[in-house]
Amino acid sequence: MKNANAAAAADTRRAPLNFKEGFAKFLFFVCACLSIIAVFGIVGFVLYGSVPAFRDIGVFQFIFGTSWNPNYDRYGILPMIVNSLIVTLFSVLLGGIVGIFTAVFLAFWCPDKIHINYRGNDPKRAQRIEKINRVLHKINLRTIFDQIIKLLAGIPSIVYGLFGLEIIVQMLSGMNGGRDGKGILACSLLLAIMVLPTVTSLVKNALEAVPESYLEGALALGNSKAQAVFCVVLPAARSGIISALILALGRAVGEAMAVIWVSGNRALFPSGLFSNIRTMTTNIVMEMGYATGLHQSALLATGFVLLVFVLIITLSMNFVPKEYRGGKGTRALLDNTGEREIPFRKQGALQDVLFGISVFFAALVALILAIIIFYIVINGIVNFSVSFITSAQAIDVPTLMPSLLATLELVGITLAIALPLGICAAIFLNEYAKPGSKVIKVIRTFIDTLSGVPSIVFGLFGMMLFRNTLGMGRSVLVGALTLVIVVLPTIIRSTEESLHAVPMSLREASYGLGASKVRTIFRIVLPSAIPGIATAAILAIGRIIGESAALVFTMGTAFTFYGDPSGAGSSLAVLLYTCANEGLHMGEAYMTAFILLIFAFVLNIIVYLIQRGVRKKRMN
Amino acid sequence: MENEKKNPNEKQKKNPLEIFDFSGENAIEVKDVDLYYGDFQALKKINMVVPKYEITAMIGPSGCGKSTLLKTLNRMNDLVEGCRVEGLITIGNRNIYGKDMDLSALRKNVGMVFQKPNPFPMSVYDNIAYGPRTFGIKKRSQLDEIVERSLRQAAMWDELKDRLNKSAIGLSGGQQQRLCIARALSVQPEILLMDEPTSALDPISTGKIEELCAELKKDVTIVMVTHNMQQAARISDKTGFFLLGELIEFGTTDDIFTSPKRPETERYITGRFG
Ligand SMILES: Nc1ncnc2c1ncn2[C@@H]1O[C@H](COP(=O)(O)OP(=O)(O)OP(=O)(O)O)[C@@H](O)[C@H]1O
Ligand SMILES: [Mg+2]
Repeated sequence: MKNANAAAAADTRRAPLNFKEGFAKFLFFVCACLSIIAVFGIVGFVLYGSVPAFRDIGVFQFIFGTSWNPNYDRYGILPMIVNSLIVTLFSVLLGGIVGIFTAVFLAFWCPDKIHINYRGNDPKRAQRIEKINRVLHKINLRTIFDQIIKLLAGIPSIVYGLFGLEIIVQMLSGMNGGRDGKGILACSLLLAIMVLPTVTSLVKNALEAVPESYLEGALALGNSKAQAVFCVVLPAARSGIISALILALGRAVGEAMAVIWVSGNRALFPSGLFSNIRTMTTNIVMEMGYATGLHQSALLATGFVLLVFVLIITLSMNFVPKEYRGGKGTRALLDNTGEREIPFRKQGALQDVLFGISVFFAALVALILAIIIFYIVINGIVNFSVSFITSAQAIDVPTLMPSLLATLELVGITLAIALPLGICAAIFLNEYAKPGSKVIKVIRTFIDTLSGVPSIVFGLFGMMLFRNTLGMGRSVLVGALTLVIVVLPTIIRSTEESLHAVPMSLREASYGLGASKVRTIFRIVLPSAIPGIATAAILAIGRIIGESAALVFTMGTAFTFYGDPSGAGSSLAVLLYTCANEGLHMGEAYMTAFILLIFAFVLNIIVYLIQRGVRKKRMN
Repeated sequence: MENEKKNPNEKQKKNPLEIFDFSGENAIEVKDVDLYYGDFQALKKINMVVPKYEITAMIGPSGCGKSTLLKTLNRMNDLVEGCRVEGLITIGNRNIYGKDMDLSALRKNVGMVFQKPNPFPMSVYDNIAYGPRTFGIKKRSQLDEIVERSLRQAAMWDELKDRLNKSAIGLSGGQQQRLCIARALSVQPEILLMDEPTSALDPISTGKIEELCAELKKDVTIVMVTHNMQQAARISDKTGFFLLGELIEFGTTDDIFTSPKRPETERYITGRFG
């Protein structure tokens, strides 16, 4: 934090603010403000699109109406609101509990190395076990678990959707006596799996930020480790845990593509765990494709109501107390000095059980990932067909190549725009703005808000701005422009982190040689932040490749694509959606899911390698 | 090990926390103790006897192993990966590195106060009630009594009795440290280990803690690491001087400070190296 201050000081000492320098600063500032503009733009355009619905239907009738039937112009979304909220609460409850326990395991018990102890005296066997141990020592269990969590977070929504449709729904159908397995429970389970990585990694960070001295203090009082962890450290991390759960709420309520096939799609109030439902998000995806006039406006209004919920959830994050502020009322004590004997007894059985639960849940998380991967890989291989890859593209038959090309163009265009903007914004935040100043706080709040906006709402915004207002058609370009806003927060954040890690002394050395601030930034600071910027770009690529809800209405769902970015096409994730949506091209859907999984896997590995490289370099 | 066989403690079966027998003269006996952090030997053949209800000070230059020895006495060193202890440490007639040693029981009886005050982020009351609660005390009246008794022992009762439900994090550094002492006392330890308990505090708070220790030694045995020679001279009964992992000299504080037997001790006391 002090670094930037010193930078500012060093700068004013050296370089008088000439025009060039001032202009650069202004440019960085504008980029930093893009998040603010984007949030207002999203709220404004979606609201603008909802005005006819609110006007003609009435805000009250729209929100509290209980029947949705576009054929009779009946638009009431209360059942969908209720469904969304129920599913969100259930999933965050489930995913939250599993995630918190998994995080506890990772932070306190996950061993670095696995080791087999052999106590017998058969020398041959001892030798063999020694060999196995040598192999085992090369495996770092903690790193593996970190990667498991990251991979779970990197799997695209639509792939989760496919998994939910095929595995969760089938499983639940068995539980439901062979009837339909879709509905509240299926949605909740699937969303729980999806919020798991978010909760786990955030809670783990919060736990690791708790001072070691709390753990030591509790142990020194005679606590078992489980008692110390669950009674002192976990409560001490409460603000971080609450923030993680709030973030998960926002994720779950805004998720569209994953639940689209497992909800059952009936806009009614739920009556049980297996009642088919429709949520706010699925309502939009299901009907936006063919909606016009008031119907379209009603769908936009659904998006607006969803956005309001998400904004409330995101903003409530600011009200989580950061640290412990005094307890609840404690009754006044009697002045009482009786020397009665008070018997201390050994306790801690409950905490031992909780410890057992953490191990179990961590194993469960690994198992879930294994099942997902196994399922997708097997189906991808079984359904492999050469024609999907080699045959010429056609309007009515899905083929890989056009989608691959469209995806590559989408990634290229999005990054070409978003990366410079994001980097400039990060430069302003880290190199120019005073740390802790109002400007920074406001901009940060908006970046956080932007990153909490659901994909489907980005899609609505892109549709309203580029198609309905600017008159552009569905195209790769429009999709890319929409995704620029989607990936901006990710890029800004990780770039900022890497800028922050550049040692102050480098900047000072550059100023000392008489370099200007802009020159220092571009010649010294940015080059040393390249690994971080590369990480930012890869995270963004992951998000772009996995994105579907924001693209369906902006880039389109066409099976064909000839390379012109002003034409419509479908990205891989959207291709998976279109193929599986009507159940006509399941084989192609599986192959696409397999490819998406490989992308997620490879991107994760690249990030891991970059970060390991950075760590090694720092140690040397 | 042998001691355990000789003294079959009847309470042992009833309550696993009360396995120690402090009826003897000495609270702690350290015999030929070597300690290794991996390959590095941090303690070399330490022999030391800590008498009951006295204050024993450990002094010596930085890195000589004072904290290390202190942490072996309640086995906080177990947390350090690669740490290995050889030799015999007997507390309350039990080999604390014995196979069946119950760490909860050991640490309940051998409390610890750290260099940096570490109150939990809870209310004052909950901080002190925390230990007893984890040993199964649930009744409010009993907890109240323990809280009050511990705060009185730490000479903080009058200061804090109206702020029991305020956050302990909001207290001053000196108050926090005395609260930590009260917290350690809440589980009624026989021995209190203190690792430079006043090094992070101002002189007035330091004075208060020294007074407190002088008062406390009626009920508990205190082993204190300190960098402050005057402090050791003022409050301790016995002093041990450490150098490079060895206990160079151990004796009554008077002897160590007025007529040290070893030249290293004398040089350190008179400030010629350290
Ligand atoms: N966890 C550890 N791992 C490896 N070596 C350690 C560890 N803790 C301490 N040491 C080493 O053991 C030696 C003794 O350390 P110790 O902390 O006991 O010294 P000290 O006398 O308490 O010093 P100070 O006065 O600075 O607190 C030092 O050389 C130190 O580097
Ligand atoms: Mg020390």
